Amino acid sequence: MGNSSAPHVLVIGAGSTGSATAHDLALRGLRVTVVERGEIASGTTGRNHCLLHSGGRYCVNDKEGATECIEENLILRRIMPHALEMNDGLFVALDEEDYAFKEKFLAGCEECHIPAREISVADALKLEPFLNPNIKAAVQVPDGVFEPWRFCTSFLATAKRNGATIHNFTEVTDLVFQGSAVAGVKVFKHRTGKTETIGADLIVNATGAWAGTVAAMAKVDVPVVPTAGVMVTLGKRFNNMVINRMHKPHDGDIVVPVRNTSIIGTTSWRVTKPDAIEIPQDQIDKMMQAGELLMPVLKEGRQRGVMAVARPLIASANVDARDFSRTFEAFNHRKQGGAAGVITILGGKTTTARGMAEKVSDEVCAELGVTAVCKTRETPLASYRMFYN
Amino acid sequence: MALNVTLKIFRYRPNQPARCDTFDVTVPDAANVLDAIEQAWDKHDRDLMFRHACHHASCGTCAVRINGREKLPCIAPVRDYLDGGKPITIEPLRNFPIVGDLVVDVTGLFQRQEATGFVITRPTEDSLDGKRVDHTQCLAPASAAIVPFNRFENCVECGICLSACPTMAADDKFFGPAGLAAIQREVDKTDDPNARARLLDLADDEQGVWRCHSAWECTEACPQNVNPAEAIMDLRKQITARRFKKLFAR
Ligand SMILES: Cc1cc2nc3c(=O)[nH]c(=O)nc-3n(C[C@H](O)[C@H](O)[C@H](O)COP(=O)(O)OP(=O)(O)OC[C@H]3O[C@@H](n4cnc5c(N)ncnc54)[C@H](O)[C@@H]3O)c2cc1C
Ligand code: SF4
Repeated sequence: MGNSSAPHVLVIGAGSTGSATAHDLALRGLRVTVVERGEIASGTTGRNHCLLHSGGRYCVNDKEGATECIEENLILRRIMPHALEMNDGLFVALDEEDYAFKEKFLAGCEECHIPAREISVADALKLEPFLNPNIKAAVQVPDGVFEPWRFCTSFLATAKRNGATIHNFTEVTDLVFQGSAVAGVKVFKHRTGKTETIGADLIVNATGAWAGTVAAMAKVDVPVVPTAGVMVTLGKRFNNMVINRMHKPHDGDIVVPVRNTSIIGTTSWRVTKPDAIEIPQDQIDKMMQAGELLMPVLKEGRQRGVMAVARPLIASANVDARDFSRTFEAFNHRKQGGAAGVITILGGKTTTARGMAEKVSDEVCAELGVTAVCKTRETPLASYRMFYN
Repeated sequence: MALNVTLKIFRYRPNQPARCDTFDVTVPDAANVLDAIEQAWDKHDRDLMFRHACHHASCGTCAVRINGREKLPCIAPVRDYLDGGKPITIEPLRNFPIVGDLVVDVTGLFQRQEATGFVITRPTEDSLDGKRVDHTQCLAPASAAIVPFNRFENCVECGICLSACPTMAADDKFFGPAGLAAIQREVDKTDDPNARARLLDLADDEQGVWRCHSAWECTEACPQNVNPAEAIMDLRKQITARRFKKLFAR
């Protein structure tokens, strides 16, 4: 495939956003090259909480985000069932205030079309023997868990099958201009130590928390605010389902089980640079305390690792970082009076990566005068292992 | 609290002589070796090549040798290696082509895993820490049916067992412990006699289960308790039983 007369799009970054975008564009028949400075998913995507959101977490305060989540959740179950643990999630009320939130929560689920069923406390404890036995109510929703590296390699393997070329350990060091428009990138190939130029008809900046650095090369500004979050992984798995606290999203109110670990998360603080984030001990303590309220057993679990990464949140004026929307946006810099030839896709979640890819690919096609439509909703992905074919 | 450690990291690029570089880094008390490697990259040398993604032993990408032993550095605490200030040696896995520094080419491993048809999810069959659970209670909104809880397989396809395997070192055509363990899992999961026969055929090969010398290094090194050595023994038994059955069916 890889139609040689089709326009060439270069995607920078192979996290969930860039990987899904490469797949969408390749499926539409464009020529696609992906460059990633390190291993696939070595940015924010790899180290995230692995929650395939049902939308339950947002159904009261951010209905648009919640609706996006459940739509994408159901699509991903169809197109990449083998990279997911699909065990649902349980929202539990710990105190009277949470209990009072329940009606709002159930109404929110209904409004956002999130399947939800209330189960008795006794049944909840039977399903999750390590839950705090004093919970007041429990609601089951279709949360899930993804494996982030396989999430990305599934998209990339399919993109490759459709002709895309993927270069990992290839870092963009500068952009190449033709007149006032961006016409390619300069890359440093860590494998060979060589610097090369790759030409492109259009560039998609999918570098997440690093988007500001790449945008600066195009002499444009993107309003990205790297906002870190910490997670603690335990030496044992204590839950089948994702355990969430039934209230407005907070620090340490969610325990995600993956393989043979449970991951407690997460907090939120601003960082100046997204690499090798230093983790303040008080962030960990705060979060563990909150997690132990949900599942007292976590106190006994051996901490196996602590990790932190930065969310690529979009800043809005006069809003505190914690309350920045978790939505996504595609910035066509030409339309904003900046350089032509670069579109930045920013924000969102791994759960909504396919939807983000659809949005930015629509923008790419409009810019290039290509009429192909998005087909990723109904196209099952190749095995992630085919990334190595 | 912070730990000061010295890392001695293997460096290599194609067509250049290999060497070791030393990096002094400071990491938090609770840090794992992967955090120390990342610090070396962040603070000292942005050209250091290493693989990492999930940092919680699920993706399998970060496998290296620490002081000569195969490990997932994401779950190897730095404090376990504080040996009177001696440097911690980090080298790439053995028995794989080296791409650069700590990065090896895992193509062969993934192609063999793919050939087995190994599905990395399976229905949950064990209880949580000895407490029985009803594992047939999922909502499954897509199909409206109640389905069992599922779980990723233990194997994270990290390649550690291939690096530790003496047979693999002698012959890279050997199918390898991970692949054979994957075949055994699939044999276990399937009810289809044709699928079972195909899987056993794949294992019943000179470069399959019969090539293994039973050194048990794979089982020793596996960070996920997969026990490939026992899986290989089990496949041998099943293949032998099948041969007998064929013999007497004539
Ligand atoms: C603590 C935390 C928990 C989260 N939990 C969840 C969750 O449970 N579920 C969920 O759905 N979402 C979650 N998210 C959100 C989600 O992780 C992010 O929205 C998503 O991973 C962003 O993906 P991305 O591809 O845009 O960015 P990234 O994954 O960061 O990808 C950007 C890539 O660009 C590369 N890059 C940077 N600069 C260059 C360059 N110059 N040249 C080449 N490549 C470059 C980087 O190496 C990186 O791999 C969480 C986020 C945080 C911070
Ligand atoms: S069997 Fe164990 S050592 Fe081998 S690839 Fe799987 S997890 Fe790694």
